[in-house]
Amino acid sequence: MACNEIWAVARIRDGQITGAGLQLIEAARELAREKGLDARAVLLGCDRATADELAGVVNGVLWLNDERLNEYDAAVHAGALFGLMEARGKPVAIFAGTNDTDSEVVPRLAAMCGAAFASSCVKIRWEGDDLAIRRPVFGGKVYEELALLSRPAMVTVRPGAFDGAQKLAAPGSVEEISVEIPASSGVTVVERASSAQGGQDLSDARRVVAGGRGVSGESYQKVEALADALDGSIAASRALVDAGERPHEQQVGKSGKTISPDLYIACGISGAIHHVLGMNTSKVVVAVNSDPDAPIFAAADLGMVGDVMEILPALAEALRARK
Amino acid sequence: MSLKIAVLIKQVPDHEAIVQIGADGTLDIEDRYVCSFFDEIAIEAALDIRKAHADAEILALSVGGKRSVESLRRAMAMGLDQVEQLGDDSMDGADGLGVASLIAARLKTFNPDLVLAGKQAGDDDMGAVGPMVSGLMGIPLVNAATAIDVDADGGKVRMTHSMNGETWTVESGFPVVVTAQKGLAEPHVPVVMRVMKAMRAKIINTSTEDLGVSAADSTGRLKRLGYYSPPTRPQVQMVGDVNELVAVLAQRGVI
Repeated sequence: MACNEIWAVARIRDGQITGAGLQLIEAARELAREKGLDARAVLLGCDRATADELAGVVNGVLWLNDERLNEYDAAVHAGALFGLMEARGKPVAIFAGTNDTDSEVVPRLAAMCGAAFASSCVKIRWEGDDLAIRRPVFGGKVYEELALLSRPAMVTVRPGAFDGAQKLAAPGSVEEISVEIPASSGVTVVERASSAQGGQDLSDARRVVAGGRGVSGESYQKVEALADALDGSIAASRALVDAGERPHEQQVGKSGKTISPDLYIACGISGAIHHVLGMNTSKVVVAVNSDPDAPIFAAADLGMVGDVMEILPALAEALRARK
Repeated sequence: MSLKIAVLIKQVPDHEAIVQIGADGTLDIEDRYVCSFFDEIAIEAALDIRKAHADAEILALSVGGKRSVESLRRAMAMGLDQVEQLGDDSMDGADGLGVASLIAARLKTFNPDLVLAGKQAGDDDMGAVGPMVSGLMGIPLVNAATAIDVDADGGKVRMTHSMNGETWTVESGFPVVVTAQKGLAEPHVPVVMRVMKAMRAKIINTSTEDLGVSAADSTGRLKRLGYYSPPTRPQVQMVGDVNELVAVLAQRGVI
């Protein structure tokens, strides 16, 4: 049994669709339109208000209205999506996010149904009747393009790969679906602590200010102040993380996070390839460094040479003045 | 009860290796291969666990041809004594599910309490095999762990991992698949004596036939269409003062 749909798995944060979630819906809408398929958002748990909000941006919401899905459990979420496929038929594709939860759920689900899986996709297009995706490999030194030959094709999409879906003229429908929900896998959450960036996920941040060796120690406060002026998130290069000054979840680079914000400001970061690989898909990159020959300038759109300790507060001030 | 741990590893090009697209459209990869960064962390995490559970039995597995043997020798040099190559070079083109299927078949007889793997391999960066092994075996999964504490007598394991901006401490019974994030352990450089010994060791091979898996089934889901250079940025525009910078950022619509 099959259905002519592309599903976007909606991830909700504090009752809101995340920016990356809106981009997934846009991806599903664009690719479905080209082939005359239907784009659907799949909502796991949550409430009617969230389902209605989703229906504002996509023609149909498949709402698995079951409170057992409210708390994240990789096996339960994968099992519920598997159940949805049994109940409704296999969709042409399932799009999810390149984030910590979907990176567990989607490959697990792909294994359960023998499907093709590709992670961290930055482009998706049709190659005949198959989906072709482009994704970075070897830490971003090259990109590969793969055709996914199974139905469904399962893809996690990088934040920033698509624009966020715009509101529809008329809201779509919400279809409540009940599927078999498997028992918990046995992973129980003992404690949830918001991390150093106050619970904000760096991967989702639209504006990021990152500090490197040039802002170690107390100087890093200048980075925080600038991020504050931008309503942005803070990040760090490997130098500061390895020195124990910043937590690992703030590290941008090959052995840390790969992020694609609208604006990335690298402060006192030399620009080693390891670092650049983690941020070179950002929309606009600004580099501030005292060394005019620092490699970071080759990876930036805009550059300023000078004392980071003076430039950062002045920039924060100028941004505040603009508000 | 003696604890049983499986460690899944892969040999990949070094971080610093030059990787570029050749004239024929295939990749030219500099011949500098190492055990994948996150896989070495998984090996070290297993060694750390053995410090507290001296009778722990650890089996390192790697899938594919001669390069898989190199990664297993690294695991031996780091201190593991039980290693096994699964399949042969016919598995080198396998996708994540192909690799995971072979591993899951082997783990059925090994019957591990804990399966450790890197969170992704340094070549395809796919992050598929660990979660897929958990899906095939129907056992719990904890991705990208930064801390692990095994309570063998209590039959449970406690882990920490970052979940979409939060730090979660989770607990699982056995068996469980745990993938390694940076911070889980600090891989040590093996001493020369052990490296030499590992070079001479005979590496056990278990074939796809022995495991009842067909190498032909390990491909066919993904078809590579080509390689592309990473997107490049235009020449950097240098600005003289912060007001000019703010003006350009406003113009680009990012503030």
